This record gives sequence, structure tokens and C-alpha cells, in this order.
Amino acid sequence: MSTVTPGRDLLPIADRRTTTRVAVRLVAAHRWPLVGAIVSFLLVGASALVAPRMLGEIVDAVERGESSITRYVVAIAVAAVTGAVFNAVSVSLLARAGEPAVATLREEVLERALHLDGARIEAAGTGDLMSRVGDDARLVADSVDDFLPTLVNSVVLVGFTVIGLVALDWRLALAGLVAAPFYAAGLRWYLPRSAPRYREERIAQGERAQALLGALSGARTVRAFALEKGQLAQVDRASGRARDIAISVFHLLTRFFARNNRAELIGLASVLGVGFWLVRADLVTVGAVTAAALYFHRLFDPIGGLLMVLDQLQSAGASLSRLVGVAVLPPTAPGTPPTHRGPLVLHSVAHAYVSDRPVLHPTDLVVQPGERVALVGATGAGKTTLGRIAAGLLRPVSGTVSLAGTSYGELGVRAVRSRVALLSQEGHVFAASLRDNLSLARPDATDTSLWAALDRVGATAWAAALSDGLDTVLGEGGHRLTPARAQQVALARIDLADPWFVVLDEATAEAGSAGAHELEAAALAVTAGRGALVIAHRLTQSASADRVVVLDAGRVVEQGSHDELVSAGGRYAELWQAWSGA
Amino acid sequence: MFTSRAAPSVPADGRALLRRGLRRHPARIAGFISLLTLWQVCETLVPVAIGLVIDKAIAPSDTTALVWSGVGLVALFGMLSYSYRFGSRLGFGTLQHEMHHLRMEIAETSLRPLGVMTTKLSGETLSLATSDTANVGFALRSLGYSVAAAGSLAISAWVLLDIHLGLGLTVLLGVPLVLLGLQALTPVIARRTAAQEGAVASATGVATDLVRGLRVVQGLAAEDEATQRYRRVSRHARIAGIRQADARAGMLGATALAGNLFLAGVALWAGNLALDGEISIGQLVIVVGLSSYLTDPIQVIGAISAQIAQALTSADRIAEHLNAAPEVQVGTEAPAAPATWRSRRPSFTSGPGELLGLVFTDAADADDLLSRLEVGDPGITVAGSPLSTLSLAARRAHLVVDPHHVDLFEATLRETVAGGADIDPGRLERAIDASATTDVVELSPDGVDQRIAADATTHSGGQRQRIGLARALASAPPLLVLHDPTTAVDPVTEHRIARGLRAHRHAATSTHLTWLVTTSPTLLSVADRVLLIDAGDVLAEGTHRDLSNRPDYRAAVHR
Repeated sequence: MSTVTPGRDLLPIADRRTTTRVAVRLVAAHRWPLVGAIVSFLLVGASALVAPRMLGEIVDAVERGESSITRYVVAIAVAAVTGAVFNAVSVSLLARAGEPAVATLREEVLERALHLDGARIEAAGTGDLMSRVGDDARLVADSVDDFLPTLVNSVVLVGFTVIGLVALDWRLALAGLVAAPFYAAGLRWYLPRSAPRYREERIAQGERAQALLGALSGARTVRAFALEKGQLAQVDRASGRARDIAISVFHLLTRFFARNNRAELIGLASVLGVGFWLVRADLVTVGAVTAAALYFHRLFDPIGGLLMVLDQLQSAGASLSRLVGVAVLPPTAPGTPPTHRGPLVLHSVAHAYVSDRPVLHPTDLVVQPGERVALVGATGAGKTTLGRIAAGLLRPVSGTVSLAGTSYGELGVRAVRSRVALLSQEGHVFAASLRDNLSLARPDATDTSLWAALDRVGATAWAAALSDGLDTVLGEGGHRLTPARAQQVALARIDLADPWFVVLDEATAEAGSAGAHELEAAALAVTAGRGALVIAHRLTQSASADRVVVLDAGRVVEQGSHDELVSAGGRYAELWQAWSGA
Repeated sequence: MFTSRAAPSVPADGRALLRRGLRRHPARIAGFISLLTLWQVCETLVPVAIGLVIDKAIAPSDTTALVWSGVGLVALFGMLSYSYRFGSRLGFGTLQHEMHHLRMEIAETSLRPLGVMTTKLSGETLSLATSDTANVGFALRSLGYSVAAAGSLAISAWVLLDIHLGLGLTVLLGVPLVLLGLQALTPVIARRTAAQEGAVASATGVATDLVRGLRVVQGLAAEDEATQRYRRVSRHARIAGIRQADARAGMLGATALAGNLFLAGVALWAGNLALDGEISIGQLVIVVGLSSYLTDPIQVIGAISAQIAQALTSADRIAEHLNAAPEVQVGTEAPAAPATWRSRRPSFTSGPGELLGLVFTDAADADDLLSRLEVGDPGITVAGSPLSTLSLAARRAHLVVDPHHVDLFEATLRETVAGGADIDPGRLERAIDASATTDVVELSPDGVDQRIAADATTHSGGQRQRIGLARALASAPPLLVLHDPTTAVDPVTEHRIARGLRAHRHAATSTHLTWLVTTSPTLLSVADRVLLIDAGDVLAEGTHRDLSNRPDYRAAVHR
């Protein structure tokens, strides 16, 4: 297998400004639990200050020779209870803000993804999208759990401790301040180095998901052809790369910590040294130096916490910007579907997936309401491309498409799709109940109408025999349908969606002959009364069509009724000969 | 790399999986834990050092002692910083390697030749290989931090013992008791974490499924409905997440309370001891400094049980996957190829050189035969040996069952057709010719080196089918089973493929055996013999031409 990872056209990643804007919007939607959580954290922080303060008091009390220290200890105990209660409350409230915010984001991402041009997602690789909805969403959720408590706690602790230090003695406080530039230098060293590595790590994780998904979903073929070595090598490479980047980021992080330790040492030595001279000069007491040194020591954790928050901002920010990148893609406008039936007109449409390599030359095609048009030709002739253009799934490079006199551009993709449905050769069965599989097309459908649709496509017999009827879970991990039955489900969906026009792209090809006949009957039933563009290699379908259009190498080469074309002795006659003469 | 690991023993459950994770890297884990313990001890000694500096240098105003204090502090911080740096790197590296190992094992199990009995969606297996694996890795790392925290508790206790026996003993005995009490909450957290992760995994599964079916969703203009469905499972995950956070909040609160109340107790006792003159002021400073530092290790160790519980549910899921029963039955027999194949039901025999057409009146029976061939049905024999008794190597040497659904992987066309093996260019070219893949090759300026995207989204259905057929032909097994290989190609191309297939595998002297499970008259017309099979019974056999007189056969293959 290949050793290079092809450069994929990944989905967009949002810039910092957009990411921040979306984060603020998501958080603002759940501001009350968030405010509650912050207030609770403030109380937790304040409670946390009581213990060291009281311990200092105990030292002083002993020095003064007081008789009892119980009240200080009671204060510590009261603070312990308050702190614990608000700690629990804050975590709980934070989840009530964070979980919905992350869920909303995750849902928005999938919503936009589902509305995106399918080809766009395929170009990026499904793994890109999946690692965003999976890994990135999880990372963001995890850091929401960590981020705020650490931030608020640290700010509160640092703030109160610094105030305590200044109140104790301004000279000792200044001595401690010596550490500040060293902390800052550490940050300036670290942040610009880690940010790009975090972004790289996320992309590597996306590649890893892509490699895993590709191998897992093709497991049957992998086994059939003993391809496991090559597939595992790809997974190994992608997963190994993600691992190596993670390790290199961590190395950076530990070097950053070393810089923080240096700042701590400098600050502490400075406090103790200055304290030594101040005590010698009789300007402060030994107790004051003790308290100052302990206060400064108490700063280690919250300052470390603050620096970690900045690191997390980078790490989670890399994930967040990937989620936001998809979430802010422009939504497709719902549009207004036309209300009066009219023809589906393709005027001079042409298409090329790669510029200079046209797959469809300028082509005209009209399908009248209720008319059944068959599109035939060799594989690679451009039939599927034309079908997808007609169904509004693909925007042609040039030419226009209109429905009942209004152009697709004006109607909007979604309005078009509600009137023109496409059924392709690989009908996906969703991992859901038969009912859910069907009602996807018409969410408000009753069981009676679902059964009616199943009856129309000739699926009643097997559907009724399913262990749980409409509730039988189908698809990956559930009851597997034969390709023919899967297509019957797909046809029943179309019937329920009730569009004006139907594009059937090899919709009956996946069944053996016996199944194909049933499917063709089903397709006829579903397309009855609607305009239909039927792309078929099974020429029984073109024989029954009102009109046959023959496509070859991206051009319409023949057009007419089945009988006319057979007697004309051209390309269609040749295909028909091959088909019927076998 | 995965290939170098000789038959890794599969852990029976999550507990065994975690244990193995620790045992797999003994030296690294030992180094990680000792360095981290050293770091924790140094951290613990910082307040002790402050007490000492005040006692020995500042209070008596001793300049020499101050200089020594400075040297001592630099040494302490140096040790603290370097032991953390290298210890945590060892730990992080080990966990990353372990996670990578686990991911590879999960993928190996899913792809192993013996198959896996599973009902998991690929998206769910993906989440096994990512989030569950991450849980296991991070718990292993936390375990290291906990051992280090225990080390620092031990040091504190030792210093306290030195100052006052009772205080030291209280810390030594009291902390484990407090921690034990906190374990009562673990099962609740474990249960809710399992629920939350299950909900997240199923949301990921649904998302993958919807993205896979994107074309269907868009073809029906059902984007909004699909979004609604995802929203429902995502909402479940959200609720489960909040419930898990509530449990975690309880645990955090309890741990913080226990730690701080313990501190209050120690402070009360030590303060009274100092009041009574039993310990000095310097010693009180040390006791106070150490005790206030005790809450941190208590919290670290308190949290570990919940993390381990969370990791256990993940590890259980992974172990379950690794232990999933194989689908394929194998033995040790290795009959010589080419061999004669016999099937009990439907009852037929097929020998070397034959191109056999199998026409099933019911498509489900065709699927059934294929899957019985795939899993090694004892009712099918190869040179007299039941298929289930063949060794894996022998099965692979005898048989390739090409599934109807064509899965193509990201690679060039050449690599795809060669199936990852080094095959000679002549064989490659013949397979491409016979399957009419020549058209696909000629369409691209890169020819056989054109890239195929993941899921071959770059190629049309007919092109994919022909590339898949070329791959099957190039694999050149003694018995090749093809299932409806031409449903997506036009009739003229189908004729070319039928002729190509015949010429490629069934030249006059060839011993290749091909079973064509199809109802396509074009393909059946090149078969040596065709069987018409209904509900496991062979109704008729003969050439396509012979059978074409029978109404039931005509009905089955009728166009």
C-alpha cells in the first residue's frame, strides 16, 4: 500500500476571532448555571484561604503564648465544609452549562455537515468530520470540566494571597514580585511553540480516525483478500504519528514547567533573603517572614494552574476551532418549493470534476411531469453526473437547471430536493429501526402509511415477518437486508417523500434477476404519476420508458422511443442486442 | 510494530488489561514512578526547607547558614524540576505507546483473518480505539501520580513521626482510612461514567452512520430530520454527562471535605502540643506546612479510584472486543490444490478447471452460501476435508470469496488490484484487461497509478465494480467465488467481462475453479455448467443453453 498520506482537502478550521465569538455565544446561552458555578468557585477559593491564614494565626498564637487555639481550628473546619459544599455545587452547575454548550456545538457541526455538499465531505474524508464530532468534541468537553474551576480557583487564590502578602509587609511582597518576569518569560517561550504543534496533533488524530474507519468498514474485503497487513500498516502509521506529536508537545510542556520551577526558586530565595536582612535590621518579625514564605509557597499551585489554563486554551482551542470551522459554514436556505407542477429542464449543462477533463459536454434534457425518461449508455458516459445535476445534488460547471420555470439557483437546493428525489445504486440502510429508516422521508407518517408504502414496493411479506416488525433494528449491527430489500426500503422512502420528480440511478441494479423484477415493479409503482429520469443498465427499464436518451462520452448521441432507437440500428440498438441476445 | 509481537496474550477482562498495561513496560513504569515519587518528595520538602531556613538562618541571623540555605534550595529545586521533567516524560511516553498498542490490537482484532462476532457499528469500534483507549492510558498515568502522592504522604508521615510519634502515626493510619471511606462513592461514579460513555459512543455511532448515508439523506431532503435524530442521541449523551458530573461533584466535595477536616484535626493537635511546649515553633511551622500540603496528595489518591473505575469500564469494553469469538472455523488440514469441492446442501460437486454458474431463486440463499464459505461451513468439503478443518493458510491458499459490495481503500489503482502484494506486471495487466478495467485506466492520465480515494468516491459505481473484479482476478486463487460482479456495468461491457473472465481463468489447461453466483444470462452463458438452486435443492443442472428451455430457470434469469 501507499506510504504517502495524500493531502486531503480538509474542512475549514475557524480563525481565533470566530472561534471566540462562537464560544461566547454558546456559553452565553447557558449563562445562569455558569454564573452560579463562578460564584460557587469564588466561595470555594475564599474558603481555601481560611486554612493557611488560620495556620498562621495558630503559629502566632503559640508564639504569643495564648491559652487556646480551638477557635482557629473551628474556622478551618467551617471553611472545609463550606468549601466542600460549594465545590460540589460548582462542578455540578458547570456541567449544566458545559455539557449543553458542547452538545449544541456537536449538533450544529453535524447539522452543517449534513447540509454540506456531499462531495465536499468526501473530498475531506469522512474521518476528518468524524474526528471533529468525536475526538475534538470530547476534548473540548473535558477541558470545560477542568478549565473554569482551575481558572477561577487560581485567580481567587493568587489575588487573595497577593493581597495577604502586601498587607503583611510591602518589602517582602516586592521581593516575591521578582519572580513575575521569569514566569512571563516562560510563557513567551512556550505558547508560540506549542500552538502549531497542537493544531498538527488534531489533524493527525483526524487522519488516524480516517485510517481506522476505512479499515473497519471494509473489514470483510480486508479478510477476503488478506489485506490486513497493508491496512494495519496504515493505521499503525497514522496512530504512530499522532502518538509522536503528542509526545513532542508534552516534551515542550515539561520544559515549560522547568522554567516555572526556576521562577518559583528565584521568588522564594528572594523572599527568604530579603526577610533575612529585614529581620537582621529589625524591620520585621521572624513570624512575618515565615508567613510571607508560606504565602509565597501557597502561590506555586495557583500560578501553575493559571499557566496550565493558558496551555489548555491552546489545546482545546485547536479542537474548538475545528468544530467551529464546520459550525459556521453558511447554512443552506430552506427556500420555497414551487407550488405548480411544471417540467424539469436542463439547459446546456456541462460538468467537469477536474478542470479540463469534462465528463459532460453541454447537454439539453427536458422531463415533463409524469413522463418517464430512460438514460442509458456505457459506464463512465456521464449518466450519474447528469442525474445528480438533475436532482440538484451537483451544481454544473455551466448551464442552467429549472423546475416549473424557476431556476435551481433561485429555488435553493433544499426546495429543489423536496420536489426532486434521487435514489442511487447504493441505498444506505441506517442503523435504526425499519420505522425510523422509512420515516426519515416523512417524519409525521403513521404506521398505516408506512405499511402502505411497504406494500407499494412489494415489501409487505418480508417486513411483516421481521422479528419486531417496524421496530426491527436494521443496518450495521442490526438485521442485515439483502441489497434488493435495502432498495425496496429506499423506494418506500421515496414514496413517502412524495416528490414530483424521481431520479433513479441504477436503483434496481443491486438485485439478482428475480429481485430486479420485483424492484422494477416497485420502481414503476413509486414513479407512477411522477416525472422520472431512470438511469439503467438493465434495459428492461428503458424498454418500458416513454423516451430513451443515449449518452456516450458525455454527449447525447441518440434520443427517441425504444422502438425507434432499436430500428435505427445505432448505439442503443447495439446495447439492446447485447442485453436481449445473451 | 504490530507484526513483531508474537501471539500477544489477550487479557480476559478490563482488570487484566490494565494489569497487562502496567506489566508491558516494567522498566519505564518503574522509572516513571520512582522519578515522580522523588519529585513529590521534593515538593513536600519545600515547606520543610522553609521551616529549616527560618529556624537555622533567619531567626539566629546566621549568614553562613543563609548561604548554605541558598545552596540547599537550589539543589532541592533542581532535583524537583528534573525529576518531574524526566519522570513525567517517561510516564506520558509510556501511556502514549500503550494507547497505540491498544489501538493496534483493536484494529488487528477487527481485521483478523478469523473474523469477529460483533454487533458494533464501525463508529463504535472507532470510539473504542480512541476515547476508551484514552481512558485506559490516562488512568495508568494517574496510577503513577497516585503512587508518587503516596510516597509524599509517607515522607510527610516520617517527618511528622520524627517530630511527634502520635502525629506521625495519625497521618500514617488516618489517611488510608479516609481514603478507604471515600471508596464508597466509587461504584456510583463508575456506573454513571459507563452510562455517559455509552451514550457518547452511540452518538458517535449515529453520526458516522448519518454521514455515511449522506447521499441518501440529501437525496430525500431529509437533512433536518436526520439532524433531529442526531440531536436526540446527543441530548441523551448530554443528560448522561450531567449525571456523571453530579457523581463526580459529590466525590470531589467529599474528598475536599475529608482532606481539610483532617488538616484541621492535625492543626488542633499540633497547636496544642506547641502550646504545651512539647514541640518547638520551628517544628510547628513544619507540621503546619506539611499538613496543609497533605490535602493535595489526598485529593490525587482520592480521585484515582474514580479514574480507575472509569478506565475499568473502558478496559472491559476493549477486552470484550479483543475476546470476541471468531467467526471463521479453522483446523489444521492443508489439502493439496487444485482440489475438488463438494457441498452437502445444496448438493453439488465441482472440480478443477470448471466455471460453474450458481443460480439461486432466492437471493438470501446466495448470501447464505457465501457467508458459509466465508466462515468455514463443515458441510462444504475440499478434497474430502470439511472446510472447517482447513488451516487458515490452507483456506487462503484455496479460496477467495469476493463479496458483492466492493470496498476499495485509499491507494493507487495498481496497488489496489495487486492487493498489497508484489505481482508481476503481466498478471496485473491481464486482470485489468479481463475485468474491462482498461477503460478506467485509460480515462486518467495517471493510468494504473491513478489514486483511488477512501471508499473510492472518485470513481463511479461501474468503475468501482470493475476495479474490484480486477483485484479478485489478480489474486488468482484455485477457487474464486464471485457474487453478481457486473450489476453496475452496461450490457456491452458485461459481455466483454464475461469473455474476459472465461479467457483469464479458464484457458484449456487451466485448473482454476470459479463459482459465479449470479442471475445474469450474459455471465451464465460462458459457464461450463449451471445449477438452478431453490431453497437448498438443486432443481436442474446443465449449460445455460440447456437450461434455458426450463420455465423456472428462465424466470430466475429473465431480464
